[in-house]
Amino acid sequence: MLSSGRTHLRSHRGVNALIPLLLLAAFSLAPLVYANHAVIFQMMAFMVLAQGVNLLYGFTGYLPFGYVGFFGIGAYGMGIGIELFHLPGLAALLVGALFAVVIALILSPLLRLSGAYFAISSLAASEVLYNIVANPALTHITNGPYGESLVQSYHPLTSYVAMVVLLVLTTVLVIVIKNTPFGRALLAIREDPVSAEMAGIAVVRTRTTVWILSALIGGLTGAIFGWHLSVFYPSTVFDLSISILAIVFTLFGGGGTAIGPILGSVVLYGLYNAIGISAPQYFELIYGLLIVLLVLFLPGGVVSLLQRRGSYVP
Amino acid sequence: MNSRKHSAMIVGLSAAMLAGTLAGCGTSTSAAPPTKNISDITIGTLYAGSGAYATSSLPEYAGLKFWASQADKSGGVFVKALNKKVPIKIVAYNDQSSATTATSLYSQLISVNHVNVLVADFGSVLTSVAVPVAEENKMVLFDQSGTGTTFFTPNNPYIVLTSLPNSGLWPDSLAQYLIGQHYSRVAILYDTNDFDQSQEQTLVSKLKAAGITPVYNSGVPTSTSSYSVLLNNISHANPQAVIEFGYPNNDISFLQALKASGAQYKMVFTVFPGQLPTLFTTSDGPSSINNIYTYPAPPLISHAHVNYGMNSSQFIAAYKKATGQSTNFLNIAGYNTGLIIQKTLETANSLSQLSLRHAVSRFSGTIETLDGKFQINSEGAQTGETLPVGKFTTNSAGKVSVDLLTPLS
Repeated sequence: MLSSGRTHLRSHRGVNALIPLLLLAAFSLAPLVYANHAVIFQMMAFMVLAQGVNLLYGFTGYLPFGYVGFFGIGAYGMGIGIELFHLPGLAALLVGALFAVVIALILSPLLRLSGAYFAISSLAASEVLYNIVANPALTHITNGPYGESLVQSYHPLTSYVAMVVLLVLTTVLVIVIKNTPFGRALLAIREDPVSAEMAGIAVVRTRTTVWILSALIGGLTGAIFGWHLSVFYPSTVFDLSISILAIVFTLFGGGGTAIGPILGSVVLYGLYNAIGISAPQYFELIYGLLIVLLVLFLPGGVVSLLQRRGSYVP
Repeated sequence: MNSRKHSAMIVGLSAAMLAGTLAGCGTSTSAAPPTKNISDITIGTLYAGSGAYATSSLPEYAGLKFWASQADKSGGVFVKALNKKVPIKIVAYNDQSSATTATSLYSQLISVNHVNVLVADFGSVLTSVAVPVAEENKMVLFDQSGTGTTFFTPNNPYIVLTSLPNSGLWPDSLAQYLIGQHYSRVAILYDTNDFDQSQEQTLVSKLKAAGITPVYNSGVPTSTSSYSVLLNNISHANPQAVIEFGYPNNDISFLQALKASGAQYKMVFTVFPGQLPTLFTTSDGPSSINNIYTYPAPPLISHAHVNYGMNSSQFIAAYKKATGQSTNFLNIAGYNTGLIIQKTLETANSLSQLSLRHAVSRFSGTIETLDGKFQINSEGAQTGETLPVGKFTTNSAGKVSVDLLTPLS
């Protein structure tokens, strides 16, 4: 019995280790297979964002409709790092991440809300951030409505590599969290915060930590994305559809797992690439139907099919 | 047994993920054919089939397609580098007004479709993401209407603005007119976006140079649709002239609110009635633009010295015959982009992108199309066209006409 348990544990470790390695291999090879590197880059970006949403929604149940706020702030933080502080691109990414973390700390009282109230308030917060960044009074800092032009720091290869690294690190982080007491505490909070508190879990500290981690991931993704674009407007990086896609990818694959958001991004973004480019109207129809069917019949995402059979899902 | 099952699952999952990721990216296509084997000139572009920019992007795309169909009717365009006429083929994708989607689609046109000529979608937001992609891939971007101030830099030879002047130049004639009319009390309401705020900055600096400080100057988000309170604030400043810089939807809402308020000013100016008059007259009737000042653009005005392509009346007739639709400025902008590409291909000694760009510089300032004089500066920004000021009048039968108040370039 004990021996069987150890075998399982080793097997789980194997799967857990394989996922980041596989992502590293896939996205290192993908540019050799497919010439449109922008599609590959965006698939990675959405995978990372989906993992960020997963940390918050999948593990704690907080649905962040305004997640794009961290993404946009990360992009603008990076832009400020380059334009105002004259930092090189890689160092400017850290400024983007820092901005996102500071904003997360400021917005942390939102965690007092739950359910639809939290979702709506996070959306409102992202709109506030958008309007602050685009405000003409801040033109000397953010370039206001004129957008950022960072063509002097445009490094598509380096930004591509940075996104691969971020994807691998984020996946490792999610796997680690899932398999530690911290992750189990988060899941307990998701199921019943009051019972979790009574069981000795520091609910406020735990969910604030994961909120900041999630913001850090969103901010870093936005920073690398902005660096890769190098010319963008506030409306580009605060586009609500970025939040929605990340949420849908997580829901499709299955929240609370490391593999779910990756699976959702690969399938749905792949579907988009196969159908959406040439016939977006059909893509939207298929996409809409998929979401409706998923919510009705598979609320735990695709991976719940495996979980129902008792299989281990990383 | 269980261990074996898990191992099989790990291997299966791994293979599926790797294959899925690579398959999700699609498949690569063959490299671009050598220049000598070119059987057609492929023009790659994007259009917004839905979303915020669809109403502007679709007519512009229709104008470009009309140009291609006209060219193909006569056997294609003459390509100097091949010393023969070559048909035009357009490859177009729908970006749905999303800049993120547009990024991957521009990349698709360059790296997968290997288009010969890259044309941007409508407006600054959807053009912005193409600028670095085109520069990185050393493709000349034929920018139709992205007038963003940050696109044109001394180190980037891979951009040409075809159908509109840089937005910072737009209010030149408006400022002259206001100064000439001795309006000392000017109110300015603008949307906080690149296009509108750059106009506001130019206007304010020119007015201040003439000793006029606006009595009201305020920016509002581009999403603004309610102008009642703003108009009330403006009325308290008691202006003679009210200038509103917005996008079409803003202009429509502004004029509706102005009509509802009953306020009267010597001059009310908005941008888009001059480009899309039908949009305004169908939204709120012909009276909505009666006595409104604007930048009148073709086909409302005609350039007299057209020496390349159709003139306005020829275009209106041919476009109506080909599509059954009446013409607006954006159709002309798209058609004009086609003309600039045609002239480029007629002039360039080779089909290399830098050769195309040098060809544009060579004929810059020498041609006048139905859209006006085509002239670019060293950074590729359009400087030949100027936008005059005009005033709409609507007669009792609802017929709309425009009087030019400043000279046409």
